[in-house]
Amino acid sequence: MLVPFSYNLRSLFVRRASTLLTVFAIGATVAVVAGVLALQQGFALLYTESGREDLVVFLRPGSTNEGDSIFSRDRGLKLMKTVPEIAMDEGQQPLASLECYLAVRRFKMTGGETNVAIRGVQPMTFTLREGELEIVEGRNFQPGADEVIVGRKLVDRIQDCHIGDVIQLNTTPFKVVGVFATDASFDSEIWGDLDRMLQALKRYGPNRVLAKLVPGTDPEALAERLLSDREVPAKVLTEREYLSSQTKQLSKILVFLGAFLGVIMGIAAVFTATNTMLSALAARSHEIGILLATGFRPVPIFLSFMLEALLLGLLGGGVGILMTLPINGIETGAMNFNTFTEVAFAFRITPQVLVRAILFALTLGLLGGALPAWRAARLSPTEALRRT
Amino acid sequence: MLRLVVRNLTKHKLRSLLTVGSLVVALFLLCILRTLVTTLEAGTQAAKSNRLWVQSAVSLFVDLPLAYEAKIDAVEGVEKTCKVQWFGAYYQNEDSFFGQFAVDGDTFLDIYPEVVIVAGSRAGFLANRIGCLVGKALAKKYKWEIGDRIPLIAALFQKDDGSAWDFELEGIYEVTEPVWDDRTFFFHWDYFEKTMEATTTGQPDVGTFVVQTRQGADQVPVMAAIDQLFEHGPQRVQSTTEADFQAQFVSMMGNIPFFVAAIGGGVLLAIFLACVNTMIMAAREQTRDIGIMKALGFTDRSMFRLLTLQSMTLCVTGGLLGIGLALLAEPWIAHGMGSFFPGFAITAGTRDLGIALTLGIGVLAGIVPAWQASRLRCVEALRSME
Repeated sequence: MLVPFSYNLRSLFVRRASTLLTVFAIGATVAVVAGVLALQQGFALLYTESGREDLVVFLRPGSTNEGDSIFSRDRGLKLMKTVPEIAMDEGQQPLASLECYLAVRRFKMTGGETNVAIRGVQPMTFTLREGELEIVEGRNFQPGADEVIVGRKLVDRIQDCHIGDVIQLNTTPFKVVGVFATDASFDSEIWGDLDRMLQALKRYGPNRVLAKLVPGTDPEALAERLLSDREVPAKVLTEREYLSSQTKQLSKILVFLGAFLGVIMGIAAVFTATNTMLSALAARSHEIGILLATGFRPVPIFLSFMLEALLLGLLGGGVGILMTLPINGIETGAMNFNTFTEVAFAFRITPQVLVRAILFALTLGLLGGALPAWRAARLSPTEALRRT
Repeated sequence: MLRLVVRNLTKHKLRSLLTVGSLVVALFLLCILRTLVTTLEAGTQAAKSNRLWVQSAVSLFVDLPLAYEAKIDAVEGVEKTCKVQWFGAYYQNEDSFFGQFAVDGDTFLDIYPEVVIVAGSRAGFLANRIGCLVGKALAKKYKWEIGDRIPLIAALFQKDDGSAWDFELEGIYEVTEPVWDDRTFFFHWDYFEKTMEATTTGQPDVGTFVVQTRQGADQVPVMAAIDQLFEHGPQRVQSTTEADFQAQFVSMMGNIPFFVAAIGGGVLLAIFLACVNTMIMAAREQTRDIGIMKALGFTDRSMFRLLTLQSMTLCVTGGLLGIGLALLAEPWIAHGMGSFFPGFAITAGTRDLGIALTLGIGVLAGIVPAWQASRLRCVEALRSME
């Protein structure tokens, strides 16, 4: 026969001061771990969710990101024109564009220095990005003009990013004429005309080619063919693959940090839970004696104590999540170590974070309850009854 | 009274142990977290202000023309200039990565007296065209000895035939201040430049000019004069003092100090609640004892002191053990972090902060139950069954 569940609920309630303190101690632990995970999710999802499967990125073979990839202009153009898998628009122009990219030194509103991604694009880029990007303030830059548009996330964080401001790139001043919004990771970038940027930044050539594939093309087969191509060798990735490859380092650090904190703080939380349950056991020895005397077997008593500990853990997990919820959506910035630029992203409490937080909390309860439950089950009825 | 404290704490050995254990863990974690921040900032503090870094004003990924050197040298107040270029090669395979820089060997050692050669010699390094200087930790990692040949496979600066760059180990250095870490590899600019000139890439550019200013020279006009030189291109430069550059670099990492503080706050809250919990439980079980003692004539104040002392004893034991553990673990953590986080070292400030936090938790956690105990009426206390 199992010990009724209401017994556990009541005993948690009777010792409410102790229950509350334990629940909050576990809650704080869960909150820290969940907070770090939410940070990782916010960062990684910004890249992976927006990455498109129908767009591909061509890089120089051997390079891992745009920064260290470079094409000569001729090569880039040749690539655009000779790869049959690239889709065409109505005018038989390839749906592809050359882009240059550089992490430039800028100053934050708060004064410190940071690195911002600057991208030179061609008119075709806006066709490729149709529906993904919207000018929310001002207008787009004129092709061939020394004008730029800035991602909305930059406006209040980086100096000189309001309409009418001037961004000096080496010796050339560029005028900010518009602000664009997007859900994609380039929300923290500055965009301008490719040729003007190449000239102002004295770059040798574009860094990547972005193209839309003919529907039904297998990107992997294309990647394999072009890697060893004699004319235009290139490393080909779908945009989604490319963007998720750019999150690896920071994600790895954050996941490691979450796990590290989880283990270390978890140990302390388990100790706390054990203490609470031990004191619950001490206070209830007499009752356990009665249970045993009335015919309850040790296994149900063990289970009952475990259940109570799990409940403690679950409550702690709930409190932890409640403590973390207010940070959901809060914008923050961090260095993406892959691109060496600062990106803005929000903490995101995704279902994955919630599930992990609850599982973590239950594990804490389980581990914390094990010893007291085992002790409770091993009590002999006479001895237990004798204790007051 | 102390004996009573010890008696009460050892009455529930397991509980006391668990409480001490969680404090050990918490203080250990707090020390490590804070050290991450202080280590980041250590580079800033060690930086000498008579050194300026001249880099592209546009981007850290843009290099400067070699011809800038002579012009910078001619600026009033400049004593010496050292060219520095990030080499970005790897040893054996792509995973064995560490920082390598081509530098003007002689000037570099003059400008950085913090870099001290402990094996091999300066003369040997300067005399060998392909000689290199390697940090102690790096040499230990790969078991390199003076005279060893070290081939590096270039990623950024490839030779036309794709062959590896050869180096010979001429010196192992230690640093007296963390301006550089001891996992870096330095070699001669001339070797770098001559080799690159023979390739189709041609003459290399310079990533950074490290400028030493003349004794007593005012930094500000020197920096302004250098920046002014290249105001109209071809590449604009930005001069900063070494300390400022290090600070900027930390700033580029984003809001790390804030994240660490938030996490530390969570740790503190969790551990504080756990301690309060233990103390309340302990006090509740002692209600009867307290009643008896009061009946025997012990004052309210002495009861307050007894319970606070118990809390302090537990917390201080746990806290000190945790700090000690962090200090003991420091070399291993530093090793594990490797070149990713060089110079990991727990400062005296962190240690003292840890001690202060321990004492604080001890006092605060003890206060509530101690106050309750001091107010307890002995009749009531004696009636208590627990």
